[in-house]
Amino acid sequence: MSVTTARGARAATRSTRSRGASVALHAALVAASLVAAFPVAWLVLTSIKPRDAWQSTTIQIFDNPTLANYVQVLTQTAFPRWLFNSLLVAALTTVLGVAMSASTGYAVSRFRFPGFRSIMWMLLITQMFPVAILIVPIYNLLAGLGLINQFPGLVIAYLTSAVPFCAWMMKGYFDTVPVEIDEAGRVDGLTHFGTFWRLILPLSKPGLAVAAFYSFITAWAEVAYATAFMTGDDKYTLAVGLGQFVGQHKAEWGLLTASSVLIAAPAAVVFLLVQRHLVTGLTAGATKA
Amino acid sequence: MTAQVVDGTAAGTPARGRARDPMRGGVGRALARHWYAWAMCAPVVIVTLVLVGYPLARGIYLSLTDATEATMGRTIGMNVIPSTYEFVGLANYTAIVTSAEFLSRLGWTVVWTVACVALHYGIGLGLALLLNRPMRLRSLYRMLLVLPWAVPVFVSAFIWRYLLNGEFGVVNAMLRAVGFAGISWLDDPFWAKASVIAVNVWLGVPFMMLALLGGLQAIPRELYEAAEVDGASPWQRFRHITLPGLRPVSSTVVLLGTIWTFNQFPVIFLVTKGGPGGSSEILVTYAYRQAFEGIRNYSGSAAWGVLILALLVVMAVVYRRALRRAGEAW
Amino acid sequence: MRRAISAAAAAAALALAVSACGGGTPEQPAATATGAAEPAGQVTWWDTSDATNEGPVFQELIKDFQAKYPKIKVNYVNVPFAEAQNKFKTAAQSGSGAPDVLRADVGWVAEFASLGYLAPLDGTPAVDKPEDFLASPASSGKFNGKTYAVPQVTDTLGLLYNKELLKKAGHDAPPKTFAELKQTALDVKSKTGADGLALNIDAYFLLPFIYGEGGDLLDVSTKKITVAAPQAVAGVKVVEDLITSGAATKPAIQDSYNNAQAAFKEGKVAMIFNGPWSNTDNLGGKVFKDDPDNFGIAPVPAGSVKAGAPTGGHDYAVYAGSQNLDASYLFVQFMDSAESQAKIAGKLGLLPTRQSAYTMPEAAANEMIGRWKEPMAAAVERPWIPEAGQLFQPLVEGYQKLAAGQQGAEPMLQGVAKAYQGLLKGWSL
Repeated sequence: MSVTTARGARAATRSTRSRGASVALHAALVAASLVAAFPVAWLVLTSIKPRDAWQSTTIQIFDNPTLANYVQVLTQTAFPRWLFNSLLVAALTTVLGVAMSASTGYAVSRFRFPGFRSIMWMLLITQMFPVAILIVPIYNLLAGLGLINQFPGLVIAYLTSAVPFCAWMMKGYFDTVPVEIDEAGRVDGLTHFGTFWRLILPLSKPGLAVAAFYSFITAWAEVAYATAFMTGDDKYTLAVGLGQFVGQHKAEWGLLTASSVLIAAPAAVVFLLVQRHLVTGLTAGATKA
Repeated sequence: MTAQVVDGTAAGTPARGRARDPMRGGVGRALARHWYAWAMCAPVVIVTLVLVGYPLARGIYLSLTDATEATMGRTIGMNVIPSTYEFVGLANYTAIVTSAEFLSRLGWTVVWTVACVALHYGIGLGLALLLNRPMRLRSLYRMLLVLPWAVPVFVSAFIWRYLLNGEFGVVNAMLRAVGFAGISWLDDPFWAKASVIAVNVWLGVPFMMLALLGGLQAIPRELYEAAEVDGASPWQRFRHITLPGLRPVSSTVVLLGTIWTFNQFPVIFLVTKGGPGGSSEILVTYAYRQAFEGIRNYSGSAAWGVLILALLVVMAVVYRRALRRAGEAW
Repeated sequence: MRRAISAAAAAAALALAVSACGGGTPEQPAATATGAAEPAGQVTWWDTSDATNEGPVFQELIKDFQAKYPKIKVNYVNVPFAEAQNKFKTAAQSGSGAPDVLRADVGWVAEFASLGYLAPLDGTPAVDKPEDFLASPASSGKFNGKTYAVPQVTDTLGLLYNKELLKKAGHDAPPKTFAELKQTALDVKSKTGADGLALNIDAYFLLPFIYGEGGDLLDVSTKKITVAAPQAVAGVKVVEDLITSGAATKPAIQDSYNNAQAAFKEGKVAMIFNGPWSNTDNLGGKVFKDDPDNFGIAPVPAGSVKAGAPTGGHDYAVYAGSQNLDASYLFVQFMDSAESQAKIAGKLGLLPTRQSAYTMPEAAANEMIGRWKEPMAAAVERPWIPEAGQLFQPLVEGYQKLAAGQQGAEPMLQGVAKAYQGLLKGWSL
């Protein structure tokens, strides 16, 4: 929304900037973009080099470009299976994460109820947990519930890391939605839930987009839980499967980079889909949280 | 902002007001009035309590004992091992706090956190200011600049380890190409620390930039126009309009950034593994190693976890209190 | 008697445990206990070998196993070596998600056994013709007088060298002592343009130097920590001298192994220390691919006392909480037979742990096996104690400090000894 305002003002403002300032502005942004994109670009370039080309000590941008690494990853490993697992886990985490954080965020935004403050603190403190140390207790807990090596177990674990931030941010977002809309809904005879579902949610797409993106990335990129909880390689996610290419005594950088590209690409696609909403969603959330 | 409250009866009654006596009638009335809110929060609360609350409670209990993998009772097939651990009070905590390692790790963790968050914020704000101008290619820049966030952290950590490799890394290859000697990025204690900070900054700037960009766009244009009319210099406008306008966003992202950086496990663990010689190890990675090396020390690792959590909670409380005094927090 | 016990235990475990394996057929052990029915069940095996290069050979063996025992289903899971130890412990202590059979590093067995995670194998089919095992690898599977694991492959470190580079430097034979090692490396450096020696900054790879001067990390018989004793210091000083004199290249600390390996394969360095597990990797390198005879293997050079490198390798162990103990024992028996070992040796160049396997034509056909014989003879047994897994971390941290020039040999080893005192209760310095 503020994007459009800025766009409207564009023509007027641009003309007021001197040529020198423009050059400096673009130079700074180009430099920053290079730093941001270079490692990723190099990853892509390495992935299309022959399997052992990473050992070169000189800079070669292209070196017999080949898709051999991709072919090997896609056909010689269980990559497709891991990809499916990752997509499943990430999708479940996203859907459940968004649903849970939106409803909690709405409740703490609109109602003052006993436990409100405790919930706000809980959401904050949960983000402080040193996950690395909690793995064994959570493992034992999931084992007791029979959820080890099961996708639901992993999804639940991811929800504990994704939901607190998302709920916090959603609360902030809902705070920016005028409360008059709720009142109008109530006057029209909608229940609290009806108001939330039919009026508020459709107005909150940017916030929901951020929550979705955050949940997706959390589940997509997580390694520690997935490594510990998934004990059969038919249940590995991409992040775990990838560990097979680079270890202490082995460096298949060619294969690693190819699979990294294959992992990063879907994340980037999701990102592109929601990025228009990210700025507005994140702001509102962060501003008012 | 707490003014936006639908439930009229509860408006103006902060949650603290629940000190009112919780007798049976009170409970019934509270249930009738608040069940909506409770129901909407229930899934989150239940999952959190089970998956975080239970391990936390158990961790606190274990941290007061001398339980290890060897002394914890268990039955595995034909092997039955009885529990032999005992309550030892605060011994685990005193052992950690008085160890030389704790202070040096804490020192570096603080340096790491402050450096990372300051650079995240500084660079993020700089880029957000640049991007907040109308110009050509704006969305392309924004997309490129946010790229590090879209790549999974562990992938980024691997890329950087490769880029910074002393022999085969591109960074040194470029240095050599322009006539400098390569730097042992990951093999020298100082450079290893600098490298992990650089990697974490690279990873964290996009989030900061986007949040601050949003914050900038939320500042009403009229304020700037009025200031310009009054003849305020660009610096004065930045100092007196932009910065105050960003305060609410800043306070939140700085708090979250601090928490995340303090606990940033993957970057250190995957890029330097804490090396060389343990020099880049922060509290969480150190605690992790203590917990998982050899025969696992459950009580010791629980004490580490509780200690780290306590440090963060204290920090958050102090920070929140400072903000609340400024009238900005819940 | 044993069988009855294990069957009862398995039944109890079955009743108690919440199975997470998903769709197993766990009622079998009771049937086999009577010895009447054909062995059946499901065996999950965690293999820690290299998934891309070695895994397929093990999977072939599994196919043969299933042909022999059609009613036993084997789940092959490749777990990256670096994660396996932690992952197994997490699963084993909770009683859920652990495999039935694990390929365990020789250094893990005592620790796992002391924690009650492993099933004792004496008297089960898993221990088959134990007299055929080489003594040193077999000892890694013993703890408190019982057998908890049987050796799968054995290995040690050797000096791997590029024959052509050594010849160019005027050395027809590989160095036999540390002094010769230094001289050869310096000659290579001055005469060929390549580097002489690349070190891998890892505790395991430091041991040949300590052993060579007559030192060791511990003296188990007297419960003494000897890592800071004069012999060990002398050994580490040799390393220090190799680095400061330029005989060894400035070692990489991160990705140390991979950098050394890459430099060796590219012909950028003439000598490295490494084990038989790197055979396949090395022979694929630029300077060996078309000329495998250029690849030289020699025993590690000797110090003033002897030439010695640590015994390494992997064992098969059975999880005590397995619900398919009998099928697991049979699986281990099959995988560790002389025939299977010979097949692994022939295809991967990994060293068998059975004497009889060495003479089998399949193993003998891989010339790597014969060439590692001499280095193997110098292998030194490591202390198989539960704390063994913790000994390397302080040592590698110290070694990193030494390599980065932050600490000399003596203070470094003092620091390591101090760390060991914290780990080993009741041991003296």
